[in-house]
Amino acid sequence: MQGVILPERQANNRKVNGMINKYKLDKILMKVEKPSRYIGMEQNMVQKNPEQLDVRFAFSFPDVYEVGMSHLGMHILYNLINNEPQYSCERVFAPWVDMEEQIRKESIPLFTLESKEEVKNFDLLGFTLQYEMSYTNILNILDLAEIPLLSKDRDEDFPLVIAGGPCAYNPEPLWEFIDLFVIGEGEEVTLELMRVYNKHKRQGYNKAKFLEEVQKTMQGIYVPSLYDVNYNEDGTINERFSLIENIPQIIEKRMIRDLDSMFSPEKMIVPYMETVHDRISMELFRGCTHGCRFCQAGMIYRPIREKSVDRLMELAEKLVDSTGYENISLSSLSSCDYSQLHLLISSLMDKFEDKKVGVSLPSLRLDSVSIDILKEIEKVRKSGLTFAPEAGSQRLRDVVNKGVDENDLVNAVGYAFKEGWSRIKLYFMIGLPTETDEDVLGIKDLAYLVKDLFFNRPPEERKGNFQVTASASCFVPKPFTPFQWQGQDTIENFHHKINLVKKEIRDNKVSFNYHDPRVSFMEAIVARGDRRISKLILRAWEKGSRFDGWSEHFKYEIWLEAMEELEIDGSFYANRNREFTENLPWDFINPGPSKKYLISEYTKAIKGETTRDCRLGCTGCGIEDCAMWGVFN
Amino acid sequence: MILRTKYTKVGYLKYLSHLDMVRLFTRTFSKVGIPIKFSDGYNPHPKFSIGNPLPLGTESLAEYMDVELTEWIEPADFAKRINEALPEGIKITSCWETEKGASLTSMIAWSHYEIRFRTKNTDQASEFEDSLDRWDKLSEVFITKKKKKGKIKVDRQVDIIPLIGNIIYKGIDEDGFHIVNAFLRTGETGNLKPIELVGAIDRELQLDIDLDMVLIKRLDVLADENGEIKELA
Repeated sequence: MQGVILPERQANNRKVNGMINKYKLDKILMKVEKPSRYIGMEQNMVQKNPEQLDVRFAFSFPDVYEVGMSHLGMHILYNLINNEPQYSCERVFAPWVDMEEQIRKESIPLFTLESKEEVKNFDLLGFTLQYEMSYTNILNILDLAEIPLLSKDRDEDFPLVIAGGPCAYNPEPLWEFIDLFVIGEGEEVTLELMRVYNKHKRQGYNKAKFLEEVQKTMQGIYVPSLYDVNYNEDGTINERFSLIENIPQIIEKRMIRDLDSMFSPEKMIVPYMETVHDRISMELFRGCTHGCRFCQAGMIYRPIREKSVDRLMELAEKLVDSTGYENISLSSLSSCDYSQLHLLISSLMDKFEDKKVGVSLPSLRLDSVSIDILKEIEKVRKSGLTFAPEAGSQRLRDVVNKGVDENDLVNAVGYAFKEGWSRIKLYFMIGLPTETDEDVLGIKDLAYLVKDLFFNRPPEERKGNFQVTASASCFVPKPFTPFQWQGQDTIENFHHKINLVKKEIRDNKVSFNYHDPRVSFMEAIVARGDRRISKLILRAWEKGSRFDGWSEHFKYEIWLEAMEELEIDGSFYANRNREFTENLPWDFINPGPSKKYLISEYTKAIKGETTRDCRLGCTGCGIEDCAMWGVFN
Repeated sequence: MILRTKYTKVGYLKYLSHLDMVRLFTRTFSKVGIPIKFSDGYNPHPKFSIGNPLPLGTESLAEYMDVELTEWIEPADFAKRINEALPEGIKITSCWETEKGASLTSMIAWSHYEIRFRTKNTDQASEFEDSLDRWDKLSEVFITKKKKKGKIKVDRQVDIIPLIGNIIYKGIDEDGFHIVNAFLRTGETGNLKPIELVGAIDRELQLDIDLDMVLIKRLDVLADENGEIKELA
């Protein structure tokens, strides 16, 4: 190939090679805890020659390495992009606080794990939005990468900053920082976006022109700078309007119709250090038919779409070969619902018997199906088993439409004890709509019921060291759920309810733990925030907020001070009941289920009426052309 | 069958912890289907042991590991299969059958290191060599080592001269690092860490070494049989 001159690929003056100083990196890696968070080089990592690339994408999960690496979406997008020869995807996570201190001291711009290249030299920087309390980490990552925080301050010399994931369904609290949001599933739209970006880059990339074009032509794209909002005197939204012509008023989500032909990863990066989920994660289906009224994922990922057993077996074989992992976790929103679960599990067990590869399910429902499945995957270690009744009383479980009852719990736990499990975890939420003190005390009753079920067994049939843990989170109403209009309980009320349960549990076999209501209050503000909340996130970050989802780093005082300085009333966002007629900040996005359906579900909830699993008959959520309708009906 | 393997740990993978290395080898053995022996018990784990694990951040051309197998494998075949699955930087360089006997850790008595560092006072190789001549004339050099006595740590003074086999100056590299090779005692009968040696040299010769950026590579580890320094068998 000598003598061949490569075409000039750098349309703008972005550097191809801005590798950080390796000695400086050595110096700081010697000083930080768990340096393998920052070195990359794992099995199945992809590193490409930058000279041969058209578009380079830096993918960021805004939390620490071992959390981000346990996220399936990251593995999907990483392999999807790297499968294209002309594109590359590299990773960047939030440096832990000790690393942040070191890289600021040594003035090392934040770099990617693959090429150790400065993030600011990439074409695109994409954040996945999984949790509202990671938003200050996004600002911190931009700042450490020496990229201006505000979209309007970034010209063509900086990467285009994009974001997607479940929290992007209410993009407004991040509107000032992010150039472009992707609403919905990313497998198709990410590559479409990169193709259009590449076209612009060849012609001389102009950020404004690019953003206008994709907003006008691509489904699932939201460019916040092309819209504006004005407010009523009471602080609610008066109207949203476009700043240019021919852009959509309603943003339709992206949704993949056929999961078998969709890109699915055949490789996963295998971290050296221990991560949250140290195993293969294989997605069975998207969507969920149960209709739990608190669950955002259950609404926004509709309709349900499954992968076939054949496709899953093909993927499983490739994943086992490429990773060497000895466990496959079958993931989805409710894996026991997979229509061919028995066939899939027995096929997997047959196929991987010699290789000692086990199968596990990340979550179990309290129903009989789950118990049957549990019998099949006997190999799992009999340490602890987790169930989620969600609420303490049947009345309240009906309000949230969690279709399980006390009998289900009795059966499931009874089976678990018979099979040798002795430690049970029960998950609950406190602060659900219509909740009374009586409902809350039901948490204690269920925990004690589990204990009695164990000790009422004949002594010779009690195996192991019994412990039941009731764990309560504070309910955060989320956009696009039937409870999106519902005010959250106040912090005082949460404490009152927590104390009720705490006082009543006096038994060393029964323990109770709960989330910090102050974190849930901030989460509620951001989750249902409007554009004005972006200033709050910025101010909190400036005042030192980082890793707000980590209890050891969450600093409530900072958030309180920031709200005071900006004259933001937290209760307006968190605790206020909205009218059905109010213009909600996220109303311009169409997630599938209709507002009419959400209103009807809310109304039924307050009356304690349940809605059936939509596999037993369509419940009219408003999804057009539901993919599995024919299968279930 | 017990296989003794010698392998490297260089580049960024020097930041893998001992636990990370154990996980890497466990996964690699299962991935390439090596018939490794497992311990008995409730939670069986593969039987292999790594001798004298390095501190985080030290490179090595001479890591040793003993692996117990359930059936006989040609050592060269073992190395080849493992190397195909191991990442760049961690590679088996030699491998042979050995008998059950003394543990690796108890055999290792000496380490040969390459140590690189920068100094503020001397950027000339000749000046640095002159300084090292002064070091050679010292009959004793004490450093403070922390020793655990039960749960409390106590300081004690140790003369490090008997723990040093030799120190040889190799010159300056392209990035301005002085290169020194040193034979130091390693293991239960006496141990001197390269960073302790550099600290002592810095203090005694007043060289103003940048102690935050000392790059260390272990070149080899050796056994001591009745005063005779030998390769590990």
